Amino acid sequence: MSGSPAAQAGPLPAPDDAALPPHGVMEQAAQWYALLVSGEASAADRMQWRAWLASHPHHRRAWTYVESVSQRVLAPLQDSPDPRLLASKVHAAHARARSRRRVLATLGAAAGAGWLGWAGWSRMPFGDLVASWTADYRTGTGDIRAFTLEDGSRIWLNAASAASADMGAGLRRLTLAAGEMLVATRHGDPRPFVVDTPQGRMRALGTRFTVRREAAHTLLAVYEGAVEIRTAGSATVGVVPAGRQARFDGDRIAQATPADPAREAWSRGELIAWDLSLADIVQELGRYHSGHISLAPDVAQRRVFGTFPLRDVDGALAMLAQAASVRLRRPLPWWISIEARPAAASSRP
Amino acid sequence: MLYSDHHAWLHTWLQRRLGNAADAADLAHEAFLRLILRPAPRGFGSPLEARAYLRAMAQGMCINLWRRREIEQAWLDTLAAQPVSFAPSAERQAIVLEALQEIAALLQELPPKAAQAFLMSAVCGMSAADVGDELGVSSRMVRKYVAQAMLRCMQAHAVQTAAALRQAAP
Repeated sequence: MSGSPAAQAGPLPAPDDAALPPHGVMEQAAQWYALLVSGEASAADRMQWRAWLASHPHHRRAWTYVESVSQRVLAPLQDSPDPRLLASKVHAAHARARSRRRVLATLGAAAGAGWLGWAGWSRMPFGDLVASWTADYRTGTGDIRAFTLEDGSRIWLNAASAASADMGAGLRRLTLAAGEMLVATRHGDPRPFVVDTPQGRMRALGTRFTVRREAAHTLLAVYEGAVEIRTAGSATVGVVPAGRQARFDGDRIAQATPADPAREAWSRGELIAWDLSLADIVQELGRYHSGHISLAPDVAQRRVFGTFPLRDVDGALAMLAQAASVRLRRPLPWWISIEARPAAASSRP
Repeated sequence: MLYSDHHAWLHTWLQRRLGNAADAADLAHEAFLRLILRPAPRGFGSPLEARAYLRAMAQGMCINLWRRREIEQAWLDTLAAQPVSFAPSAERQAIVLEALQEIAALLQELPPKAAQAFLMSAVCGMSAADVGDELGVSSRMVRKYVAQAMLRCMQAHAVQTAAALRQAAP
């Protein structure tokens, strides 16, 4: 019980044929899943499930597919604004497509009508339905990436972020569609370098800064040089010097405050917590983790100091459990619960 | 050769079906691309055979395009029903839409009740008993449906993983 969960080995690099466990094992995994989400599983059932998982590598392998379906397909839908309405709409669309399909079924029989269904969709553009879908640079959940622009400038996109670049004759322009990016502009290019968000335009007078989209604001933090802000609504102008950060909306630029060095640590794959609340850290880690992290309210305000690896959320959580004296629980594989340690277990041997 | 013989009529045929030149051009292009990447198993004995094959393939692509549009609409309807102040980020929307397209493609091969039971328990988090009440079946049956749908999704992911591994192998 005192062993660290971080010591567990990750999914093993499987030989080719082990990627597909026997059909019967896949079926068992699906049945375990159905039982665990049914609301009818007893504590004994859960123990049996764990025992089943531990008893054979094929079982663990099959369960990784339950996890990948849960994380990649189900979790985004669970987090959508109104899952029930969405489910009923999908069901209605499904029924309509089905009746149409029946009419046409005889025609389609020769040519595997489902070929676009699995692999095809990911390559097909959705048109301009959503801005970031067509952005030049994108990252998914848990993904931090660096890009070099045409002019030699570098950008780092934080998790779940999207940006487009437009390198014109007279202007180098980046648009941040979602999330957060760190920009390091190249010296010696005479064209002005600007970053646009709906709240305004930032013009780089120096070289290194981060821009983050928040609900109705943009947060700009400058590490080298200076950046000029011009708000989109009132055209208010302000200059943020190195070492300062400022938040602005379409009309107002808030008073600059000291820049938080932790704000650019993510570009190195680190989260630096200097007296942050557990709630803040969990929110940040959530951007790198596609499962669900729940935090008990009675520990949410505990203060934490430390550096946590963003590319290894499981490891980061295990370290966090140590640092904040909390306990991690996984009711389901994609669900991590952070809670107070039971009183008896809090004194360690 | 195949392309020059067949592209014109396929494009016209698709345009009649879809009522839209741009979609028709896209799908015709995709159809030929697919033929080049994965040729028909035994080649074609006659131009008529090639024509039948292409038409059947294009038919399947139309159905998928329609389904994708239906799903996009389902998502837009859901968004439209939210209060004005609610505006998920573009990235968030893209993630949800992607997941929706994926799940819709997978569930289309299942009986409607199994698909519905899966959406209700896995996406809405309803208990098997509640889902059973709503669908008029036992909670045992609901679990069977959920397992069936999950198995279908797992298989698709497993096939994809195996394909990726094979590609990565020297």
